[in-house]
Amino acid sequence: MASSILTIGSTALKAAQTGIATTSHNISNAATPGYSRQGIIQSSSTARYTGAGYIGQGVQVDTVRRVYSDFLANQVMDAQAASSQIDSQYGHISRINNLLADSTAGLSPVLQAFFSGIHDVTNDPSDMAARQSMLSSTHTLINRFHAIDTQFSAIRGEVEAEIKTSVETINTYASQLARLNDQIISAESRGTSQPANDLRDQRDLLLADLNKEIKTSAVRMADGSINVYVASGQALVLGAQSAKLIAEPSSSDNTQSIIRYQMEGVDFPMRESDISGGRLGGLMAFRSDSLDPVQNSLGRMAIGLAISFNEQHHLGQDLTGNLGNDYFSIVSPVAIANSGNTGNAQIAASFSDANALTASDYQIDFDGANYTFTRLSDGFTQTSAALPVMLDGLQINLTSGAAAAGDRFLLRPVRDGAATIGLAIANPAEIAAAAPVRTGMAATNTGTASISAGSVDVSYPAKPLAGTVTLTFNNTTGMLTGFPATSVVTVDTGGTVTTYPAGAPVPYAAGAKISFDGIEISLSGTPADGDQFSIRPNTGGIGDNRNALLLAGLQTAKVLGGGTLSYSDAYSQMVSEVGAKTRELEITSTLQGKLLDEASNTQQSFSGVNLDEEAARLMQYQQAYQAAAKVMQMAGDLFETLLTIGR
Amino acid sequence: MRITTNMMYDMGVARLADQQSGLNKTQQQVATGRRILTPADDPAGAASVLQVSQADGLTMQHAENRNLARNSLGIEDGVLHSFSDLMQAIKTTVIGAGNGTLGNVERGFMASELRGQLDQLIGLANSTDGNGNYLFSGFQSHTVPFARSGSTVSYTGDTGLRALQVSGERQMAVGDSGQALFLSVPEGNGRFVAEAAAGNTGTGKIGAGSLTDPALFTGQDYQIDFTVAGATTTYSITNITTGTVISSGNSYTDGSAITVDGMQIDIKGSPANGDQFMVSPSGRKSVFEVVNELITALSTPVVTSSDSTKLSNSLTMAGSELSNAFDKLLETRASVGARLKELDALEDTGSYMHLQHQTRLSELQDLDYNEALSKLAMQQISLEAAQKSFIQVTGLSLFKYL
Repeated sequence: MASSILTIGSTALKAAQTGIATTSHNISNAATPGYSRQGIIQSSSTARYTGAGYIGQGVQVDTVRRVYSDFLANQVMDAQAASSQIDSQYGHISRINNLLADSTAGLSPVLQAFFSGIHDVTNDPSDMAARQSMLSSTHTLINRFHAIDTQFSAIRGEVEAEIKTSVETINTYASQLARLNDQIISAESRGTSQPANDLRDQRDLLLADLNKEIKTSAVRMADGSINVYVASGQALVLGAQSAKLIAEPSSSDNTQSIIRYQMEGVDFPMRESDISGGRLGGLMAFRSDSLDPVQNSLGRMAIGLAISFNEQHHLGQDLTGNLGNDYFSIVSPVAIANSGNTGNAQIAASFSDANALTASDYQIDFDGANYTFTRLSDGFTQTSAALPVMLDGLQINLTSGAAAAGDRFLLRPVRDGAATIGLAIANPAEIAAAAPVRTGMAATNTGTASISAGSVDVSYPAKPLAGTVTLTFNNTTGMLTGFPATSVVTVDTGGTVTTYPAGAPVPYAAGAKISFDGIEISLSGTPADGDQFSIRPNTGGIGDNRNALLLAGLQTAKVLGGGTLSYSDAYSQMVSEVGAKTRELEITSTLQGKLLDEASNTQQSFSGVNLDEEAARLMQYQQAYQAAAKVMQMAGDLFETLLTIGR
Repeated sequence: MRITTNMMYDMGVARLADQQSGLNKTQQQVATGRRILTPADDPAGAASVLQVSQADGLTMQHAENRNLARNSLGIEDGVLHSFSDLMQAIKTTVIGAGNGTLGNVERGFMASELRGQLDQLIGLANSTDGNGNYLFSGFQSHTVPFARSGSTVSYTGDTGLRALQVSGERQMAVGDSGQALFLSVPEGNGRFVAEAAAGNTGTGKIGAGSLTDPALFTGQDYQIDFTVAGATTTYSITNITTGTVISSGNSYTDGSAITVDGMQIDIKGSPANGDQFMVSPSGRKSVFEVVNELITALSTPVVTSSDSTKLSNSLTMAGSELSNAFDKLLETRASVGARLKELDALEDTGSYMHLQHQTRLSELQDLDYNEALSKLAMQQISLEAAQKSFIQVTGLSLFKYL
């Protein structure tokens, strides 16, 4: 009887000891990340049957259980994946946002200074110092374009490097998960299949960390292992096996990395759009949603500025009397051939219209008969059987070779615009500040008619005025004669356009716009018989600033985005887009952070250690231990009593 | 809700971090005085700041252009002022030369004075601005516009006018054509030239005449032929363009006006038999030519009464043409004055716009210090409270009592 009491007491002592051990374990791991508090599950031992009924046999510890919920853990992981993605995106776009933060440091002030430089030239076009100052302010503008683009490229480089790091981290986690799966399977298959609580905690922590890198979905298997899937259902971890992700250059653009999936003979590049969640998802999203559009926007602005400015510069005359050359230099974009192409076609583009340019990239596919051009920003397509093709202000040419069916090209017309814009002229005298023609009236004219200063359009440079054209008015016929013998003359009288064949006299109409060979003049007032008006090359016209005024006027002209944006509009639109995107991500990041806090608080609330609670439990088990010891002491006393009887 | 020890610390630390970042942002705003620190703080506002800054930059550029325009027009006005003084002096000489008591020698002095004034005139016409650009050479700003060879003055400039962008919409010419100013002086009275034939022997003096009825003005050439038979002087008028005799045998009364096709021609004195007077529409000549002709007239010695008549006719003609040149000058000066006045008006608009832009910029990006500082104080208090409560809450532990 006494031995039974002793046994009962010893089971209680053991149970209390296990309780104290588990509580101590909880206390020591209170601050361990991913730790779930553990508790002992005890039950009364099977009672012994006697004639007097069932007599209890003490207590037994069934298992040590961790307080854990799959549901809560999954919620934390989902929230973690979303939050990490947004944080990564927000962190990177903040850098662009800060880059554009100061309104005195961005492109805006140098653009203003550039146009001030042109105004200096309009004020004294023959002054070399003013011209030099215009070139200097242009240099400053170009350098600022380069500097901002360099920052973008640096961010791009860091993003690419971070993608590699993230992929390596994912691989490490995946192989660790596989190893833990293996350990858990073997630990739990031992003896009475007790759960390997601490290994499971470690694995759950690893899974949570993995979700910081990429969104996963986990499936728990009967043998205690978990299978982890990423993207559109690719298995990252299957039992004790793990897949390998590789960051490698994209076949369409070797400057940009994509993710390749490899596992047990399966090997394919993952679609970028499939990768979501976590830091990797954030990096991918930042690259395609923020960095590419912003860098393209800046590039489009640089190219738009260069093209439209050059166009006007071509219509001017420089200090040496020659027609203006290119003022800015830009590099014509070359389409990147996909590394899997079987044809040897080289496709390049040239810019034809600044106004029609978009900030988008284009994909060109050849199916053996037709080229399909896809504008990647909105999916618009255009098909053509032959090149060249005009599309969005670009002329797309086949420069050499021939495309084979299935060949694919990626055209990024404006991506490098801000990096490659340069100054095409070196000599300040080459600034075309003057108009190439000037007009005059004979000093002997007795009528009141006057001739406008004259202007030229894009068709002028093809056939510049060779010599002086003298128009003479005949009062009897009311006609002007003297137009170049081979030139067709067009007269626009308040919208009514009449064309006169070469050599024919043209009737005088006050205020009418008279055009020939790309030159437009108008006469107003009343001419007298024999009055003469001349149009001549602007030889020696170094004091003329008409073209400089037109160049300066480009500052506010809506020459980009289909006639909706001026240069500075385009820039402020870009800044505002970056700002709005950053703000959006900032708000989402805060929100996701809150959701993550909530989820992990709920999870912590359930699984975490409360030291006060543990202290209470410690006291409880201590008392149980003391009581059990008392029971055993009493069993000893009983036995002693029996011995005393025999003495 | 069950609170775990970790949660207590984590949440406490997170709240402290939040409070600190809020405090830091407000502090940054106060330190920079700017409400918008990065575009994300107010994307639309940040874009507006750029737009308004550019508009203001342009306004300031136009203000600078206006200063330059004012300067250029001021220089031109100064030259025109000297030109006007000189023309007055020449006119005075012409009036003085009409004095019958003067002899050939005195007139010779006047002619040499005029030669000096002609040089001054050419000098003025070749004036440069502060940067060495010729004012009246048009676009060829480094080409000397007026060059004298002998008694003729040639012009190598053009009618190009340099304009400056003085406001968003206004391009203002900051000069005037030298051709219009110096070379296009209407001859005679401005509409027609009434002159005596070179071979006249009588003392018939012809005035500048005037246009009394523009509707009848034909712009054709006429000739008035005088016939003196005894005491009777008659004249006939012929339109030599069409070859038609308009009237003949008209009796001549000294001083009474002759009217033909809307033109009134004044002939005084006694024309001799066969004397002719010509009337033709005004051509254009240079002001230098006018002065040169005056010099020639004054240097020609007066011997006979017909010489005296010729001198008188020349002086009349020169006086009238100088008036025409003077009118042109006044017209130009008035236009320069009007432009200067317009610049002042544009200046007012410009400064108003600048003020508007500055106000708008201030509204967009400047910080409301009252609001920011009270926010800062509040955030500070709340951070301190969070710190205190954190210490107190984490200090509670059952283990203390074990």
